[in-house]
Amino acid sequence: MATTKTPARPSATSDEGRRPRPSTWVWSWTYAGALAVAGLLLAVVGYLGSGIGSGTVDWLNLVTESAWSPPNAAFGGLAMIYGTAVVSVLALVLAVPIGWAAAIALSEYLPPRIARPMRMCVELLAAVPSIVYGLIGIAVIRPVIASIADVPGGDSLAAAGIVLAVMIVPTVVAVSVDALSAVPDRYREAAYSLGLTRGEVIRSAVLPLARSGMRAAVLLGLARALGEAIAVFLVVGRADGRMPHGFGEFLDSLSHPGQTLTTKLAGPEPVLAGTSGPHFAALCGLGLLLLALVAGATIWGTRERRRSTRKAGHLPTPRLRQQRDRLLTVWRLGALLLPSALLIGILGLLVTRGTSAFNPSFWVSAATGAAGGGVRDQITGTLLLVVTTGLLALPLGFGAGILIGTHASARTARVLQTLTLVLGGVPTILLGLAGFVILSTSMGWGRSWLAGAIVLVPVVAPVVALTTAARIRSLPPELTESALSLGLTRAQYIRSVVVPYTWPATVTGLLLGLARAAGETAPLLFTATVFFGAPTVPNGIVESPVQALPTHIFTLSQDSGDPQAVDQAWGSAMVLVLITAVLLSAAIALRNRFEGERWTT
Amino acid sequence: MDDVITVHQLRVRTRDKTLVGPVSFTLERGSTTGLCGPSGAGKSTVLRALVDLLPDGLVRDGDLKVLDRTIAPGKGDADLRAKVVLVPQTPVVFGGSVLDNALFGLRHVLRASREALRERAEQALTEAGLWKEVSDRLDAPAQTLSAGQRQRLCLARALALEPAGLLLDEPTSALDEQSRDTVEQSIAALRGRRTVLLVSHDPAQVERLCDTTVLLDLPAAASPAAAAV
Repeated sequence: MATTKTPARPSATSDEGRRPRPSTWVWSWTYAGALAVAGLLLAVVGYLGSGIGSGTVDWLNLVTESAWSPPNAAFGGLAMIYGTAVVSVLALVLAVPIGWAAAIALSEYLPPRIARPMRMCVELLAAVPSIVYGLIGIAVIRPVIASIADVPGGDSLAAAGIVLAVMIVPTVVAVSVDALSAVPDRYREAAYSLGLTRGEVIRSAVLPLARSGMRAAVLLGLARALGEAIAVFLVVGRADGRMPHGFGEFLDSLSHPGQTLTTKLAGPEPVLAGTSGPHFAALCGLGLLLLALVAGATIWGTRERRRSTRKAGHLPTPRLRQQRDRLLTVWRLGALLLPSALLIGILGLLVTRGTSAFNPSFWVSAATGAAGGGVRDQITGTLLLVVTTGLLALPLGFGAGILIGTHASARTARVLQTLTLVLGGVPTILLGLAGFVILSTSMGWGRSWLAGAIVLVPVVAPVVALTTAARIRSLPPELTESALSLGLTRAQYIRSVVVPYTWPATVTGLLLGLARAAGETAPLLFTATVFFGAPTVPNGIVESPVQALPTHIFTLSQDSGDPQAVDQAWGSAMVLVLITAVLLSAAIALRNRFEGERWTT
Repeated sequence: MDDVITVHQLRVRTRDKTLVGPVSFTLERGSTTGLCGPSGAGKSTVLRALVDLLPDGLVRDGDLKVLDRTIAPGKGDADLRAKVVLVPQTPVVFGGSVLDNALFGLRHVLRASREALRERAEQALTEAGLWKEVSDRLDAPAQTLSAGQRQRLCLARALALEPAGLLLDEPTSALDEQSRDTVEQSIAALRGRRTVLLVSHDPAQVERLCDTTVLLDLPAAASPAAAAV
């Protein structure tokens, strides 16, 4: 028996009022959650829409001209679109072959004893905040580009592409490994017993079933690359109007500074442009373009596909089977070296550069001067933001997830699920700008910790909702039927069966989401944080900023000439990575206690 | 009102195809009625149609009266299901103790003190023939019970609601021979006191346990004999 249908609402003749614990609050709760998801998405789109409406946007000009000069009223975004395309494609070209091969090695070649801890490491890597990848870009990738291509400083599209590639490899590996290990072992067994080599088994029995999941990994990686602002911001050089003509200039442009959609929006312009007029409208137009791109990649990557009906492609000739097999093995295991090297490299960099974090006084003393002292206030600020966001996102995401998982009709559930996915995929820089315009400016909060926490809710709530909904889908239908046939109302069923069954998954989703939120920089820049001068604990809401680790690192890292600032940045990065690692480990430990689908990386 | 459930020309169909029925029958108060038929005739589906728990995409046609109240298709609610209780084929125990499970339905339906609830649980467990086995471990996790005990626990938690009608869906098919006998004994003990509709594919079992028999035939062979007793 598949899904069990019951009337959506108790009928008018119900004597539910006389029941003990009628739990009718469940409805207010779940609808509030779903409305919050829709409302948050609407707020972002509405902010962009009203911005576009406040001045005329010449769309044709925006996508075909490359000159951007607000004083001359020239708003051509082609160079930024080009920059976004180049860095994203470069990242995919570098990350996907390696990511896929490494995932196959992890899932199909290595014994579980080794693969298990490595999978966990990959998940940890995928949760490393993008600001840390930006730091690595400054410290390692920029100098390399500078020495190869003779570019002063090394700020370039190529550097940005490589940073993004490094950033999305763990995502690609993690999601692909999930897809591969979801293929039941009986397929492998059947193929092996027909005398196929390992490579052939993977090619003919495993990959066809994992294909759609592995493609989803690429699109999720693409969505992440398209929407990333901070890591790119630090290494791309942010030069406007660079548009190559011809192939030679194209190659040349890679090693030169450029601009992407996200870095334009993360720069000072959105704040300087006010909240209306042609300049602001053009920026909102760019934002809408970015949102459409990311939403497209997210929806395409996660839509459910029918079972592939594609015919088997060309099969390799049966010559040199063993040799071919060995070559494949070498390539796949070799590809595993890169993520491993990444992990060791990142840890090595953090440990060697972030030595200040190993001094306890760094954790408990306040910052002094521009870049001295400790980061106590930044830690408390980050924790305050994370806890507040968690308190806001948990009930909303939980409610929305329950509505998606149980109550809604199939179509409503699909629409809600898509909305939730899109909300979770909104580039965080757009969240920051929407928060800046709506909360900080229109509502007059200025920089406020509460604004920051609210802006982070869309990062966390969708993860909570999607893990909850996925868990509910694994609820045995007999359990539902048994409960309903004992006369429970729909609300009582949710209260007494669904919630107890789901909450471990929900808390896991919350921790995963918070691990991501803790490292977010872009949403906080304009809404919640200052570099110095905020009290340890804010009093009030209006004009009550905090200091936070990610924005602290961001500001310090732009001053890469000052060795003290660099030390402070790396020390703070170490602290931030530890905080996310703790949240993530707790999530993984909890998840290992139940079977669940994973939705984020 | 001596008829607990009256069904006239009940059909279950998708949008364009009749899958089950038609079937007509009456459950008299205190009777045990067997519902028999070849596999695929939709015996379990009939039970679900009676309490409006049909899977998505299936709808009921025909008249259904429960305790003289006409139930329109799709209008069965939680209160109906608390009066006519379906016990599904696979025994599902919820998390929590034996006592929690015995009271799982009741504590959502009846506002009563803990003592009163506990008393009802004891009655129900006794009626289901499980009390002697579990009276000393009411607080033990229900997952520790054997399959036969679980099936009787499911029966007990349905009985705790003091239902007007009890719909048993192949209560012994998931059990080994020994537990089957104990469950059959429990069902036999209900005879004359409860109104039971028992789905079974085993004619001998129906013979042993039931007063009357309703035959459900495959809908394609819509012969007059398919209709009923």
